[in-house]
Amino acid sequence: MEIAGNSSTISPTFSTPTKKRNLVFPNSPITPLHQQALLGRNGRSSKRCSPKSSFIRNSPKIDVVNTDWSIPLCGSPRNKSRPASRSDRFIPSRPNTANAFVNSISSDVPFDYSESVAEACGFDLNTRVLAFKLDAPEAKKPVDLRTQHNRPQRPVVTPAKRRFNTTPERVLDAPGIIDDYYLNLLDWSNLNVVAVALERNVYVWNADSGSVSALAETDESTYVASVKWSHDGSFLSVGLGNGLVDIYDVESQTKLRTMAGHQARVGCLSWNRHVLSSGSRSGAIHHHDVRIANHQIGTLQGHSSEVCGLAWRSDGLQLASGGNDNVVQIWDARSSIPKFTKTNHNAAVKAVAWCPWQSNLLATGGGTMDKQIHFWNAATGARVNTVDAGSQVTSLIWSPHSKEIMSTHGFPDNNLSIWSYSSSGLTKQVDIPAHDTRVLYSALSPDGRILSTAASDENLKFWRVYDGDHVKRPIPITKTPSSSITIR
Amino acid sequence: MSSVPIRTNFSLKGSSKLVSEFFEYAVNSILFQRGIYPAEDFKVVRKYGLNMLVSVDEEVKTYIRKIVSQLHKWMFAKKIQKLILVITSKCSGEDLERWQFNVEMVDTADQFQNIGNKEDELRVQKEIQALIRQITATVTFLPQLEEQCTFNVLVYADKDSEVPTDWVDSDPRILRDAEQVQLRSFSTSMHKIDCQVAYRVNP
Repeated sequence: MEIAGNSSTISPTFSTPTKKRNLVFPNSPITPLHQQALLGRNGRSSKRCSPKSSFIRNSPKIDVVNTDWSIPLCGSPRNKSRPASRSDRFIPSRPNTANAFVNSISSDVPFDYSESVAEACGFDLNTRVLAFKLDAPEAKKPVDLRTQHNRPQRPVVTPAKRRFNTTPERVLDAPGIIDDYYLNLLDWSNLNVVAVALERNVYVWNADSGSVSALAETDESTYVASVKWSHDGSFLSVGLGNGLVDIYDVESQTKLRTMAGHQARVGCLSWNRHVLSSGSRSGAIHHHDVRIANHQIGTLQGHSSEVCGLAWRSDGLQLASGGNDNVVQIWDARSSIPKFTKTNHNAAVKAVAWCPWQSNLLATGGGTMDKQIHFWNAATGARVNTVDAGSQVTSLIWSPHSKEIMSTHGFPDNNLSIWSYSSSGLTKQVDIPAHDTRVLYSALSPDGRILSTAASDENLKFWRVYDGDHVKRPIPITKTPSSSITIR
Repeated sequence: MSSVPIRTNFSLKGSSKLVSEFFEYAVNSILFQRGIYPAEDFKVVRKYGLNMLVSVDEEVKTYIRKIVSQLHKWMFAKKIQKLILVITSKCSGEDLERWQFNVEMVDTADQFQNIGNKEDELRVQKEIQALIRQITATVTFLPQLEEQCTFNVLVYADKDSEVPTDWVDSDPRILRDAEQVQLRSFSTSMHKIDCQVAYRVNP
């Protein structure tokens, strides 16, 4: 029975299609055994025995395949010795067949036989297939082809950095300007007129025509402590050292009225339509309705020291004040009790500025012992950002063109800084050495491109902080309707 | 991005060096394109007028250098017939792709007539450039290798070749049920290189 099975297997060996089909085996599990059989010529006979037993145990077909595969490895010099080893292998297993096999083979037949077999199988006897033995190194990280092919070959080129003008466009003389941190002696109206107070005089300089005129002169017993334009630029409010507040008509160059009430000098002013708010050295803040005879319509008592920063929000709903008591107060328009009181600053707060594009955002800057710029959410009272400016902060001006804020500084750097503002923090864009002494006063032009600064070095300088190239589309601002103010 | 000099000597030695160099850059390019190693392991160098990606991993560089230096010896001795790059799945041990470069010796009446010929240099560089571009473009039709893969290099060498100890006899590892795509070729004065890729559509 077993002999009959082997006999049936052997007979297909001599047909070509069957041989090709059999050769599929080396590509699957036989490959390791095949490679083992192909390794080196030493000990060939010993290796041939153990694979043979495996072959017999697995399948008779494998034995036949092994027989055919071993033929191409014969070198022609060894041709004559092949029949002997072959007959040795066949005799013990299949006595009858082996005898017939040996008897039928002549010395010439094996070479022709192996050649025809190799030719039928497509092998080239003159070629060896060699593989590099070592394994390729392992990949250290997992490979994701999707991200790999989407990855740009080159980093994105950052746009060219914006160039800042570090020299003033124009310098005017400001002889006799008072070197006092707590005053506000410079303002720029919506009609493009700059007002600057020099001791007892107030001068207005028309930026369009370049003409200068003396608008006001106080008594010899006092001096000008603050100036502020109304929103439409028609009226200039002047705070005096003796506590009076004057209002001038620029068109006719005349004083319209004088409002009393403060016991000490008025160092800061801020307009809210027809209401003018004034801050005093006594710490009091008065609201004046400039349209009626009994002008004082409100009093805010929140600061224990001089009020040096005062600013209405553009919609007129909140008022922010900074004082020499290092306190920032945020007031609702209809209340005389402060909504929020902030004590984070360690020095006087003179710089107070509302953000033009985000109405709840308030920026405040501290003096020499503080040097911090804080940003507040005026709806919740939370501090949203803080930056160390490195110098005494004397004023803060938001840019209407881009999300930036400008700050002027005193000791020790006397510089002008421009910061890029984002909710994640501030980035300083440029530091401009502005004056020889501390920069005390600043005002922005109505088109938002030129910033004027004044210091006790008696210079009034104009800086073009935004060129036409870098001016983007203006950020939408909720503008206060400029109601015409008529004073009777 | 550094620039690698291009071989200019087209004698048998120069041509063998040129072809060996091409194999080195082609293998690196295939390793990058098929994602055998992560993209961070490659850097861009200027070669053949193209931005070629070569491996910066020291182990991979050493491995490829060993193979290429042996190829150069066999090529100089005119013993090499084919170079095979097989991409194998690590999990199943299955061969997924097979890149084949056929090397033919070109008979010329005078072996040294083309030394220093500028036009031939430019022509060869353009042909290599076109072949490299095509190798890069094969990612458009080759199936994506989902599993982690490794590679191995086979060589069809003459029977009487001298074989160092780190090369062993192997089966051809021909893919079953595979698609074949013939790519471009390039010729130097001594060699003609064909390229083809076989891949399995449904592994």
